[in-house]
Amino acid sequence: MKKISRRHFLYCGAGLLCSAVQANTFWPFCVEAGAAAGPADIRGRVFKGDAPQKLWKWSHEGFFYTKLDNKRVRCGICPNRCLLSPGDRSVCRSRVNMDGTLYSLTYGNPCSMNVDPIEKKPLYHFKPRSKAFSIATTGCNFRCLNCQNWEISQTKPHQVRHYELFPADVVKTAQNTGCESIAYTYSEATTFFEYMIDTARLARDNGISNLWISNGYINLKPLLKLCGVLDAANINLKSFSDAIYRKLNGGRLQPVLNTFKTLHEQGVHFEMTTLIVPGYVDDAEMVKQMCGWILTNLGPDYPLHFLRFFPRYKLDRLPSTPVSTLVRFRKLAMAEGIHYVYVGNASYPEGNNTYCHNCKKLLIERIGYFIPTYNLDGNQCKYCRTVIPGRWT
Amino acid sequence: MKRKNERAITRVVIATGISSVVTQLLIIREFLAQFQGNEFVIALILFNWLILGGIGTLLARWVTRRLWKATVNRLGWLSFVLAGLPAAQILIIRQFRDVFFIHGSSVGFYPTLAFTFFTIAPYCLVLGFVLPYSLFVIRTENPDYPGTRIYIIDNLGDVSGGALFSFALVFLVTPLQAVFLANLPLVLSTCLLFRVSSRHHPAVYLGTGMTVAILAVGIVLEPASLNPWEGKLVFYGESRYGRIQVQQDRDQFTLFVSGNPLYSNQNLSIAEETIHYPLAQLHQANNILLISAEGGMMVELEKHKPASVDYVELDPQVAEVQFRFGLIKKIPGLKVIHQDGRAYLAGSDKIYDAIIVNLSEPDTFQLNRFFTDRFFALARRHLSGHGVLSFTMKGYDNYLDEPQRRKLSSLYNTVTDYFDNVLLLPGQKIFFLCSSQPLRTDIPALLAKKGIHTRYIRGYYYGNLTHERIERLTALIDPTAPKNRDYSPQLIRLMFMQWFAKFSASPTIFIAVLGILCLIYLMRIRAEEFVLFSTGFTVMGSEILVIFAFQIFFGYIYLQIGMIVTVFLAGLLPGAWFGDRLRYRSKQTLAVADGLLIVLMGLLIIVLKQGGDYLPVAFFLVFGFAISLICGFQFPVALYLRGGDAPAVTRTFSADLIGAACGTLITNVVLIPYCGIIWAAAGLIGLKLCSLIVMVVLHEKN
Repeated sequence: MKKISRRHFLYCGAGLLCSAVQANTFWPFCVEAGAAAGPADIRGRVFKGDAPQKLWKWSHEGFFYTKLDNKRVRCGICPNRCLLSPGDRSVCRSRVNMDGTLYSLTYGNPCSMNVDPIEKKPLYHFKPRSKAFSIATTGCNFRCLNCQNWEISQTKPHQVRHYELFPADVVKTAQNTGCESIAYTYSEATTFFEYMIDTARLARDNGISNLWISNGYINLKPLLKLCGVLDAANINLKSFSDAIYRKLNGGRLQPVLNTFKTLHEQGVHFEMTTLIVPGYVDDAEMVKQMCGWILTNLGPDYPLHFLRFFPRYKLDRLPSTPVSTLVRFRKLAMAEGIHYVYVGNASYPEGNNTYCHNCKKLLIERIGYFIPTYNLDGNQCKYCRTVIPGRWT
Repeated sequence: MKRKNERAITRVVIATGISSVVTQLLIIREFLAQFQGNEFVIALILFNWLILGGIGTLLARWVTRRLWKATVNRLGWLSFVLAGLPAAQILIIRQFRDVFFIHGSSVGFYPTLAFTFFTIAPYCLVLGFVLPYSLFVIRTENPDYPGTRIYIIDNLGDVSGGALFSFALVFLVTPLQAVFLANLPLVLSTCLLFRVSSRHHPAVYLGTGMTVAILAVGIVLEPASLNPWEGKLVFYGESRYGRIQVQQDRDQFTLFVSGNPLYSNQNLSIAEETIHYPLAQLHQANNILLISAEGGMMVELEKHKPASVDYVELDPQVAEVQFRFGLIKKIPGLKVIHQDGRAYLAGSDKIYDAIIVNLSEPDTFQLNRFFTDRFFALARRHLSGHGVLSFTMKGYDNYLDEPQRRKLSSLYNTVTDYFDNVLLLPGQKIFFLCSSQPLRTDIPALLAKKGIHTRYIRGYYYGNLTHERIERLTALIDPTAPKNRDYSPQLIRLMFMQWFAKFSASPTIFIAVLGILCLIYLMRIRAEEFVLFSTGFTVMGSEILVIFAFQIFFGYIYLQIGMIVTVFLAGLLPGAWFGDRLRYRSKQTLAVADGLLIVLMGLLIIVLKQGGDYLPVAFFLVFGFAISLICGFQFPVALYLRGGDAPAVTRTFSADLIGAACGTLITNVVLIPYCGIIWAAAGLIGLKLCSLIVMVVLHEKN
């Protein structure tokens, strides 16, 4: 074997160290922002042996699950596909395996209900100026660090105050409060799937629309069943990076994209919401990619909302999103070809208004939840008669 | 030669004391900038510091006996390590924060405990180790050297370090510059130590050079270590109250105080809500008091055309930076007052039409003073007949969780004693509007009537603040919830609960483990050590109580609180000197000192009961000095009774440190929040009574 000289050795060593710098070898002094630093995945885990001793009166057998050996069950509602032994509680905290049967613990006991303007969901292309009766139970299949409803999404059903409101009562209350729709919202509606489906069926029979406000983390079968009773949805597209999904939200990107495709195929009106988290989601290149995917797979007509981030819950040491970033992303998305892009949680009036994608004239002026100007004739632009996507009446 | 060595070691011990106290204060500030700055975290950091110091001290004897004989050379190298570690430690804390935790996220109790423990462990263990080790080195040449002397010398360094930081460094330099300056004496005294002991080995020069290089590199790397990931840092300053940074991200400026994004120039909704909710209730708002302000508020205030606006901001740098970066603007009639808001009100005769308190939720004793019965009474006295007091708590979107409900209930019950009408408005913040006049909820209509134009309130108020939401929130108030008082800060306790709930954690495991370890420790120590343990506990506990009480009566006055901290250290010196010189040192002496501590704590209770408003500041200084004097006195007496040999030295030193650690933690997070200030003081008396009983029983047995 050929020997190397000391000088040669030093040169080689120096070269090796230089190459190592490129590969972030000198951890942690080369920590990068965003997805690269800190724990990579915050996905939730099954709560072993955490089920209640006895079922309570609101318990309802799950619609989608598989019975396995040794009385184990696999929940089929969302891509978490929780494998539960008897006595276990699911990741979303709402489902338990009781002696080989999967139960939802949230049926008929919402912990929050309000009458909201539909613009608050946000749904800008669905029955404007109408009111939505909004309900939520506890539970979520994600672990978003910036959750604005963490008090109910990250807790168990028995840990909150709740109302007794079975599907028929929900529909009745919606009617009594003059709401044209029921929104399954706030926490994650997918986790109270059985309650949502039963209520939605009754609502549809009574001429009330059903709105699904969700993270879109749901399996195909339950989604198809839901599409049968759904009128509109607002789905969060939290980012266009699987790494950020895992790090900030405790979920995965692909199932959410699949949900968008299914809703599109099933002809359900939906709008997309992206929260621009500084340092993570405020990446123009990523937004461009996201728009590209939307255009290719869904077309240009589904409204996209860019929301301003404010420090919340555990993600409270970041600044809020500069309004100019949202404005820039709106312009970028429109330049890419998406017809309707809005800016939310921010004082930027233009970003709240609807302009005809053909003649560019103002169709709907929104000041907060108020609509002082409305230039739609049915579903058409009053000026150029272009059909504006959405469900307007 | 022997004397020369002793003198050189003495210089090293003093320099170590200076370095250690400056480092401790800097590390606490660093952790507060990186983690949650609540009382629990502050107590946790101090607890870790003291407990690790105690472990280091205990290790000294074991290591010296079995592994490492005490030599001047080794002491010198340890001192170099000690001088270089703080700079590395601060940089590591900054870097590792985002390695172990997700950038931008807050951290729960157990991860904070683990992170603070492991990052400060190297420094604290070495620090705790060095003090008894120095004594052992001296004793290799002078076996009769008294252990108390090292204790006194160390205290001299501590007092100097505390004063140096609190009254000079904090005003003048950045943290790593402070580390550099505070450790130079240690590097120099260590060089002299090697020189005196005739060691001129090149390694010594190399060690000196390396230590100085580490300290200097710290200064060089400091700006880079503070750079944010989002936007750019356009201002950085260290005020006496904490770290102030301004980040610019495109056209947005965000003011960070101790790592928290506090205010920005683009927070229109908060500015509108904070100003217009209370002022909409008034026909004309002439005189307004604003306790702390944030982006856009002055613009909104100006719309009401007030005759005068008194803006009180404790930290002059915060106000200066807000003006400089356009977060708030100067408006006609504006007067900026740099004082504690409550102290200002107490000393002012001015009557206001509105008092707007724009402070975050009370997670420290200092902030809690703006949410108590006495503050509300004070505010009421300074309001005109139709005047409005407004303050906020953290809001919620769709569900009010239990700790928050209890917090709101406690506040509601407290404030309704002073105001006939209290209106709660839910939203991103929950607004408390308090007045003797009826209050209205149709705020957009009131503003429209006054001709005041808003953007956020006009568009969003009626969708976000429906009558149902307002009524539902009011209905959730529990009329039986205990009131938040100065002496019994209920909110702090509830804040702890909420903090734990947010991270789905419980302190039970920690308390259980700590309790078991404490029990094992207490069962293994001797009576004299228990006296020192309880004294360390009492001194730290009473220091926290005195600072807490001082703030209630006089407000947060930086220099005077710095003086209180200093006298609590300064009394140790003459106390230890006196105890060392006392001829008659017996268990009875210890018992008498215990008795005096009990009397002093009793005196504190009487003073608090009678109301400390009428006391001069000097009372608190004299009290602190007296408490630490007795503590200092007990140390040499206990050490003498224990025999003064190596094991006795390490055990007595560590008993004092471990007691102080427990005192800090338990007083801060258990006694004051759960029992109130009076019962906390009574608890300390109880502990001292136990110590007294132990001494008396043992004395009788002997």
